[in-house]
Amino acid sequence: MDVQETTAACRDAFAELASPARIHDPYPFMHWLREHDPVHRAASGLFLLSRHADIYWALTATGDAFRAPAPGELARHFPRAATSLSLNLLASTLAMKDQPTHTRLRRLISPDFTMRQIDNLRPSIARIVAARLDGMAPALERGEAVDLHREFALALPMLVLAELFGMPQDDMFGLAAVIDPILKGLGPHASDPQLATADAASARVQAYFGDLIQRKRTDPRHDIVSMLVGAHDDDADTLSDAELISMLWGMLLGGFATTAATIDHAVLAMLAYPEQRHWLQGDAVGVKAFVEEVLRRDSPVMFSATLRIAQRDIELGGVVIPKNADVRVLIAAGNRDPDAFADPDRFDPARFYGTSPGMSTDGKIMLSFGHGIRFCLGAQLARVQLAESLPRIQARFPTLALAEPPTRETSEFLRTFRALPVRLHAQGG
Amino acid sequence: MRILVDQDMCATSGQCVLTLPGTFRQREPDGVAEVCVATVPQALHAAMRLAASQCPVAAIRVIESDDGDDECASVDPAPSPAEAERHAAKDQRNPGGHGGTV
Repeated sequence: MDVQETTAACRDAFAELASPARIHDPYPFMHWLREHDPVHRAASGLFLLSRHADIYWALTATGDAFRAPAPGELARHFPRAATSLSLNLLASTLAMKDQPTHTRLRRLISPDFTMRQIDNLRPSIARIVAARLDGMAPALERGEAVDLHREFALALPMLVLAELFGMPQDDMFGLAAVIDPILKGLGPHASDPQLATADAASARVQAYFGDLIQRKRTDPRHDIVSMLVGAHDDDADTLSDAELISMLWGMLLGGFATTAATIDHAVLAMLAYPEQRHWLQGDAVGVKAFVEEVLRRDSPVMFSATLRIAQRDIELGGVVIPKNADVRVLIAAGNRDPDAFADPDRFDPARFYGTSPGMSTDGKIMLSFGHGIRFCLGAQLARVQLAESLPRIQARFPTLALAEPPTRETSEFLRTFRALPVRLHAQGG
Repeated sequence: MRILVDQDMCATSGQCVLTLPGTFRQREPDGVAEVCVATVPQALHAAMRLAASQCPVAAIRVIESDDGDDECASVDPAPSPAEAERHAAKDQRNPGGHGGTV
C-alpha cells in the first residue's frame, strides 16, 4: 500500500496505527516498522517495541528494567491524570501494580481463574453458546442478515462475566454500553472530549459497582464480587475500597471487548479460509490449534495500554531507551514477526497443533495474552469460550457468509469490532 | 529429574497445568502452582523442560540429575537451559527466594 511513502523515518507510529486508513489492515505498516524502526521513539517520547524477541524480553523483564508509574508520576505521562477518573482507575488496577502489591491483589482473584475453575464453567458456557446460536437461527434461516458481533461475540463474554460476577444479565448489558467509551479514553493520545466521555462512563461503572458491593455484602453468593467483598471486609489491608472497585472495573474492561474481537476474528478466519475449517470438525487438539492461530494472527490488543517505565537507560538494538521513558509493546507486530513465526501473515493452525496452548511447534510464545507477571488473568476463560463456540458455529451454520464487510471500532490500541453482519448462503438454486 | 516451583514468584497463570495437567496443579486458596507427583517419569522429561521454558515468570526450575543424585541436587542447582536462555536475553528478575516444593 502506501507503506513505502512512510519513508525512512516514521515520526509517530502511534498516530499511524490510529489512522483510519490503516484500520482494516495495519499489518503492512507494522512489518515496515519492525524492519526499519523496531525500537521506535514517537514524537511524544513514548517508545514502541515491535520485534518478537524484544517484546518477549520486555514482558518478562521485571527486576531493574521496568516499573509501574508512581502515583504522583501519572500526571507526567498523562497530563490530565490528576483529574481523570478513568486513568486513576487504570492506575489502581492489577495491570499497573508492581510487586509485592501485584501478587497480593492477583492471588485474591486467582482462585476463581484456576484451570479447574474455568473448566467447571465449560457446561454453562456451552449452554450460553447454544442458546445464542438458537436465537440467531430464525432470522438467518429467513435469509436475513444478523450482526454476529452484537448477537453472539459480544453477548457470550458478557453473559459469562455476568455469571462470574453474580450480576443480573440486564445490568451487564447496560454496563457493556459504556465499555467502548472508556477504552477509547485509555489510549495514550486520547483527546479531552474522549477522556471526558470515558470519565462519565467510568463514574457510572463505579457507582454501579458501589451499589453491587453493598448488595453482595448483605446477600453474599458464590461469585467473584461476593468473594472480594468478603476479603475486603475481613481485612481492608488485604484489599482496599479503591482496589476493590478498580479490580472489578479492570476485569469488566479486560473481560469482553478482547474476547468478542477474537470470536469475530475467528469467524472471519473461518469465512476467509474455508480450507482450514476442518480443524474445527475434529478433536479438541485441532480446535485448540485453530484458536491459538486466530489469537496469534489477530491480537485484539495491538499494543499495551499499561505503562512500563524504564528504571534505567536500556539499550535495545542499538537504541538507548532513557530512564523514565514509557515503553509500549506492539504485540500484534511481534505475533507476525517472521523470526518467530515463518510466513507470519499466513493463517495456519498447524503451527499450534499438538503443542501446549500459547506455544508454537517451534517453541515460540504467542504474545496476545502477554507474558511475565501480568500474563492475562482471563486467558483460559477466553480460550474456553472460543473453543466452545467455534465448532458449534461451524456445525450449526455451515453456510455462513458475510452479509456486508465488518465495521471496526476506532481505537488507538485495540482491534475490535462494531458490527459483523452475516447471513446464510442460499442453498441449491 | 527434580522440579522446583518458586511459589513466591508464581504468577498463577496456570500455564504449567495446561502443559502437564497430571504433573502440576493449582492450590485451591490462591491458584499458586505446585507439583503433584513425587518423581517425573523419563517419558515426560522433554515435556517438563518445555513447561519450565513456557512459564511466563520462569518460576519452574528443572534440576537434571542422575539417578541417586537427588539428595545433592537442591544445594546449588545449575540454571536450566531455559533460564540460561533468559539470562542471555538480559532478563533481570526480582531476587526471590526459591522456597518452592519438590
